Amino acid sequence: MVHNKFLFFSLCFFTVLFSYAQRDSVVVLDEVVLTDAKLSQFSVGNKKQVLKDSVLSKSQSFTDLLRYNSTIYFKENGYGMVSSPSFRGTNAQQTAVIWNGININSQLNGQTDFNTVVTSNYNNVTIKSGGGSVQYGSGAIGGSIHLNSTFNFKEHLDNEVRIGYGSFNTQSTNYKLSLGSKKFSLDLGVNYNSSNNDYKYLGTDQKNENGAYENGNVDLSLGYLISDNNILKLYHNTYLGSRDFSGTLLVKSNENYKNTNVRTMLEWSNFNDKKISRLKLAHLYERYRYYANKDRPEYAFGYANSYLFNYDYKYTFSNVILNGIVDHNYTDVIGRNIEESNRSITSLSILMQHKLSSKFKYTFNVRKDYTEDFSSPFLFVFNGDYSFSNIYNITLSASKNYRIPTFNDMYWVGAGNKDLVPETSKQVEIGNYFKFKNIQFNVLGYYTKLSEMIQWRPISGEGWIPVNVKDVTQYGAEAEVAVTKQIGKSKLVWLTNYAYTKSIDDSNDKQLMYVPLHKVTSNLAFSYKKIEAYMQLLRNGLVYTTTDSSRELPGYTVANLGMNYEVVKTSKNTTSLGLRINNLFNKEYQNTAFRPMPNRNLMVQLTTKF
Amino acid sequence: MKMNGKIASLLALGFLIISCESDDNSVDLPKGEYDNGILISNEGAFSGGTGTINYISDDYSTMESEVYKKVNNEDLGTIVQSIGFNDDEAYIIANVSNKISIVNRNTFEKLGEITTGLNNPRYFAVSNGKGYVSNWGDTADENDDYIAIINLSSFAIEGTIPVVLGPEKLLGENNVLYVAHSGAYGTNNKVSVINTITNELSSTIEVGDVPNSMQIEDGYLWVLASGKPNYIPGVEETGGVLSKINTRDYSDIVNYTFGVTEHPGSLGLDDDEFYYGLGGSIYKMDIEDTELPTSAYIENISYYNMTIHDDKMYVTDAKDYASNGSVSIYDLETKELEQTFDVGLIPGGVYFN
Repeated sequence: MVHNKFLFFSLCFFTVLFSYAQRDSVVVLDEVVLTDAKLSQFSVGNKKQVLKDSVLSKSQSFTDLLRYNSTIYFKENGYGMVSSPSFRGTNAQQTAVIWNGININSQLNGQTDFNTVVTSNYNNVTIKSGGGSVQYGSGAIGGSIHLNSTFNFKEHLDNEVRIGYGSFNTQSTNYKLSLGSKKFSLDLGVNYNSSNNDYKYLGTDQKNENGAYENGNVDLSLGYLISDNNILKLYHNTYLGSRDFSGTLLVKSNENYKNTNVRTMLEWSNFNDKKISRLKLAHLYERYRYYANKDRPEYAFGYANSYLFNYDYKYTFSNVILNGIVDHNYTDVIGRNIEESNRSITSLSILMQHKLSSKFKYTFNVRKDYTEDFSSPFLFVFNGDYSFSNIYNITLSASKNYRIPTFNDMYWVGAGNKDLVPETSKQVEIGNYFKFKNIQFNVLGYYTKLSEMIQWRPISGEGWIPVNVKDVTQYGAEAEVAVTKQIGKSKLVWLTNYAYTKSIDDSNDKQLMYVPLHKVTSNLAFSYKKIEAYMQLLRNGLVYTTTDSSRELPGYTVANLGMNYEVVKTSKNTTSLGLRINNLFNKEYQNTAFRPMPNRNLMVQLTTKF
Repeated sequence: MKMNGKIASLLALGFLIISCESDDNSVDLPKGEYDNGILISNEGAFSGGTGTINYISDDYSTMESEVYKKVNNEDLGTIVQSIGFNDDEAYIIANVSNKISIVNRNTFEKLGEITTGLNNPRYFAVSNGKGYVSNWGDTADENDDYIAIINLSSFAIEGTIPVVLGPEKLLGENNVLYVAHSGAYGTNNKVSVINTITNELSSTIEVGDVPNSMQIEDGYLWVLASGKPNYIPGVEETGGVLSKINTRDYSDIVNYTFGVTEHPGSLGLDDDEFYYGLGGSIYKMDIEDTELPTSAYIENISYYNMTIHDDKMYVTDAKDYASNGSVSIYDLETKELEQTFDVGLIPGGVYFN
């Protein structure tokens, strides 16, 4: 086996490295407190964009957050409905959502519906571009979105209440509690959102008649410092949602969809200044019920239970960090249209970061999965980061990533195809990062070759079945400019993203459906004393809605305008009032054919922290 | 359904033209831009798109796409399942949109629409001066399937006739309507016979599983059933059956049975010869034959829909169901491919003006 030989040589190489390594003291506590520190340590060649509270609080949904702040394109079946990303020209199953370091894409359909995740309780949302399957598993092809919880081991007690009300009877109620001591940390977030969502279809006399939604969400993170060398962390998220699924311009709908996600993870870390040994146990539960006609009792359903065991050992030498991970995942599923089935996957990964000098570091990570269901490829990623100076860095990343067949793909009653193999993607990416006093910008280029793409096709005598059918070539360029300027009491922050994306079906040389060639987002925020005003601008290029580029949706520009005013600011209380106008210019647009997006609408928000 | 003066006069004009035509068939002046040609109905994307209509002139010199939209500046609706005709009027059925658009088949000018009283409409036929539309009803309910009765001058639904599961293709004769029950999302094996004077079910004929096409000739109803496929969970695969049914009393049914794994479809009739598709080939059978043909007439033809008309075979290809499909026209005599046209998304029906 070539792979085994490769592993052997890698190990020999590491051994040589160790003997020369010099030990150095490292402050490990900060790292074990941090959620998913590996994200920065072992992916030095990929672009990572971190969205913090100041940005998170300006978005109504996870979809909106990423739509207005990243290069990801979203296909939404009407506002608030099923939302599927296209990241670097890939499809919804090729973007992974990572919750505190673990992949939470649905076991049933392989994707995350971005309108079923509430982000306001997370410490940050990080968008990592490019392949990351070694660390983040199936679907981390176009990129991955990381939801990271907060732990704060300081004496504190903070409360935050945020209430919003807006057009279409949209309501949002949120409560956050953060309390802690030197030994103990607790963060709790509770959210309830609802909307009639019956917006006007501009240019017609129709409304979004069957689009009401509501959801409830709880996030909890609990940390306990057992001793100077042991920490215990508990993460929990429960999401309950019910949505009437909108119709289209041409079809009225009476559908309803209810889904539940419950995620719990216990993590124990034992550490000293050289090593971190970490054990994680997690349980993920997902369930949906789909009513084609909500006035009738029949529904389609599916649910999945996943149990995760993950052991991780990391050792730090002076300039080398080595990390071995054993991961075991057992999932069982059942549904109305899915055979009762289960799957076990064991994976082994080795991650290595080597700092050759203060200017240059690289990482090399490998992974191999073992399962009886399909043959899994050997995955790797090589990352390099070289600083020419304080102002200029260049990065390189080369990786092989995968997307495994989902339970729907393999066990759909009468259609599941047990001969499927994982989709694989080979990528290279080069990034240039510039950092000046008030301006940061970066320019990236990438090239990706996707093989064995899985699609459902009508096969004579077999009906519609999933098959490994397509090869796709993706390449593109991304640029990001961040300008920050502070003069006296006024502050200006201006962030602009641009993506040029080619995603070409090798069989006909056409751009894939729903991948815009151009996307621009630009956000300008200006604050002076107690007042903040911000503008979000989105420009989406046209997308094709057929595989032969014969039909298209036109491009569009949408803008949102918002204002916040601090009514009270004392040492014990900060209260602010916000107003937000979505779709300021009342633009008629669709990101999915025949499914109009909302007309101009308002949202008022009251936030108080005490 | 309201009718304005313009529509009424158009209708009147239509009737005039019909009466002229019946007087003298030898003068064949085009009755509109879309006369003397072939109409293709394209289902359109299931996910919420619109179906479209293509027109191809008889001499293949011109092809137009999205004819309905061009003339009427609106969309037909999601999944254009089929078109039925009443003289010069075309009834275009949008299945998922629960809508029928009625146009003049030669000009494609809209005459009216039906948007209430339909639930999963499938096919249209005329019998005894009335229109009939098969409806699956709610697909979760196996007992609400029906035939809607349409007043051909007001375009209003006048009543319904409840029928068994999955009414699909219709065939209208003078006072009789034949309904093939393919079984919607399940399977069925019945043909309902409806007396269109009383609008009541007069007889139920058992045929093969999943009847998909019917022809009537010389007092016999021929029904081709595909049999149950092998991929429906909990359903045992069955082979196709061609049934020959005496329409006097629906007795003496002769069944020609196919192999268990053989699932024929698209029964066409031309000059007393039947044609049907099976396993990527086209078979031909004389109406007098007493056995199914053993060898294919034309091989290597995969199709989404196959239609036989006037010594020609029209084969549609839906390709990957997410790009423009095509229609290929073959000469039945020489078996040669005459022409291929790129048409709309999922071309499902071929009709002749």
